[in-house]
Amino acid sequence: MTRRLSTGKAAILAILLLADALAGFGVYRYLGAHTGARLFQSQKPTDPGQQHHSGPIAQLPGTLYLASEGAIYRLRRGDFSLVLPAGGWTQPAVTPNGQSLVVVKRQFAFSDLYLVSSNGQIQAQLTNDSSRSYEFNDWAFYPRLTPDGGTLFFDWDRPKDLQETYNVTLKVWSMPLGNPNAARRWTTPIAYTGGDVQPLPLSSTELIYTRYLRDQQGNVHSELWITSRPDLTGLLPGHALTAPEDDCSQAALAPDGRRLAMICTNGGQTANLEVATFDGSTLGPPQTLVAGMQAAEPTWAPDGSGLVFLAPGDIAGDFQLFWERVPANLLPEVAAAASTSSTARTRPTPSPPSPPAPIQLTTNLDFDATSPIAWHA
Amino acid sequence: MGWRGVAAIALAGLAISCLGSVLAYFAPALALAYRATGQAATVSLPHATHATSSAATATVTGGQAFTVLLLGSDDDQKFANANGSKTIVTQSMILVRVDPVTRHAVMLSIPRDLWIQLPNGSYGKADQASEFGGPPGAVAAVEQAFDIKIDAWVWVGLTGLIKLIDYMGGVDVVTSQPVMDDYYPADIDSKDPYAYERVAVLPGPQHLDGHDALQYVRSRHGDLQGDFGRSERQQQVLMALKAKAKYIKPEDLPNLASTFNGELQTSMSLTQIRDLLPLAQAFDNPNQIQHVILLPPYTASQTIDGQDALVGNWNLILPLVHQYFGYA
Repeated sequence: MTRRLSTGKAAILAILLLADALAGFGVYRYLGAHTGARLFQSQKPTDPGQQHHSGPIAQLPGTLYLASEGAIYRLRRGDFSLVLPAGGWTQPAVTPNGQSLVVVKRQFAFSDLYLVSSNGQIQAQLTNDSSRSYEFNDWAFYPRLTPDGGTLFFDWDRPKDLQETYNVTLKVWSMPLGNPNAARRWTTPIAYTGGDVQPLPLSSTELIYTRYLRDQQGNVHSELWITSRPDLTGLLPGHALTAPEDDCSQAALAPDGRRLAMICTNGGQTANLEVATFDGSTLGPPQTLVAGMQAAEPTWAPDGSGLVFLAPGDIAGDFQLFWERVPANLLPEVAAAASTSSTARTRPTPSPPSPPAPIQLTTNLDFDATSPIAWHA
Repeated sequence: MGWRGVAAIALAGLAISCLGSVLAYFAPALALAYRATGQAATVSLPHATHATSSAATATVTGGQAFTVLLLGSDDDQKFANANGSKTIVTQSMILVRVDPVTRHAVMLSIPRDLWIQLPNGSYGKADQASEFGGPPGAVAAVEQAFDIKIDAWVWVGLTGLIKLIDYMGGVDVVTSQPVMDDYYPADIDSKDPYAYERVAVLPGPQHLDGHDALQYVRSRHGDLQGDFGRSERQQQVLMALKAKAKYIKPEDLPNLASTFNGELQTSMSLTQIRDLLPLAQAFDNPNQIQHVILLPPYTASQTIDGQDALVGNWNLILPLVHQYFGYA
């Protein structure tokens, strides 16, 4: 014998079944939406919600160029816009007139330097580093122009070490902008250290760069080095600005030419942002502006009032843009410093006024922390 | 049926539906737990004083100090046998001693070329020990060589490491120098497992995805310290991974299970892993973790049977190891 459900009971049963199904689906979705990995997803600077910013980031003067996930972005008055779409682009350097950029395009086994307009139009390919012979591909990195814009300094892994092919090192080169045939090598790195990197030309004949060396235990350290002569023999003209145990790199000179910012790790997994006075030959005692972070790529504001830098800024660990004001009275003059040596500065630092806390300018973006930031007034 | 009956059926239906959804969500994790955890196979050396066992793994999470052997391997087609199985060598071997009471940990990298007795009684490089019985073979050889007791092991394949780092959104590392290598093995995504690729990991603080992190920890041709330099880099990335692990929730387990897809094995049970998660989160100060690498004079390069090997100065190594890892 069968009993027919009344219309009312059938409706109730259908609602219950639907509620059960929805509850199960909801639980499944809830669990999926509460993973820790959800916190690790970054956005692009031009995504909705990221493109326009107010607050401190909108107060930055001039135009900044930053690399993120193979693309180059422009930041002006708090607004991000795309200059070069994703395609291995990194390490922009701006020409003194602000009209053009020199940018690295990194591909599978090589990288090249390109001159592009500030709107992203490719004007010239400055190097030709691809080769059909695998071992003759080249890397080019860290382009940086002299203050007059006439000479381009950069890193190249030419010439190859044909005797010891495992010894691949970057060397600092220079060339008149647009004339690669006149390129000349400036440094002879120590073998098996990775090489000399991050050239910072003070003029066409004076250069600061990061060199790598080994201590007696075989540990690799970095130091800032200043030279006024190309070195093709390994005699190493010039002198150190920092001590090897400080592990400093990524030098950035203030627009007034009298302060140098740098990143120092002391051989550890944190990277401090430090700044010291610079008299053209030596550094004064450094002042730590930012400690306990993994700070990278310090870049001075065109008016010298402070620095932007990159550091992990959220749970994801992606690098965000930060601002650090540099008070005018923060640093003693070189002449008043304890060290008057012509070699590396000495530590420890005297007790200067405490620097202000850095301000995080972006969230949930993913800037390339091995790409210097270009900033033009 | 009255309204009470209807309500009871409705509630029961809801409970069953929700429970079914939870089971469906965690099914991949449960399957991984069944396949990859609790693998307490035993391999004994001819003169071994002891061997790992499920009883030893029970020490983990028991509140006492315990030792875990972390193993990392190439497992691409170069290592495939005719029957489809793989004979793996362990390029990365890191002993970790954890003291839950003092909140102190020690990481000791075992050089892959260290010349030790293998599970079949012959002598060879430490990375070959896993050819004899898999990870338990490596555990047995390390226990005998260092005269210590290992409570548990964890093995991760190269692609598993890449996927794990990518799942966790990458890791933050300060790379101490440019890592340049023109002969880095292109055996992950390449059709030719013997192919090379050019690697250039630039120096300084950076956020590495799984692919780049693997290049950083695996490259050794451009490093004068060879395997020692690589060991240091491996410990750096391991620490960076640990920093990220504190954000992982139980809800991530199904996705992680899918991510590993056979690239993870461990002797620990799922219960032990679950119990270890809070302990991992307690180690949030880098000073709590000590790093040890067996540089000279603890080891010396030597050619043995035509192979470049490292011979241990056991008079120095054993006191050091026993200081941190105790005795067998």
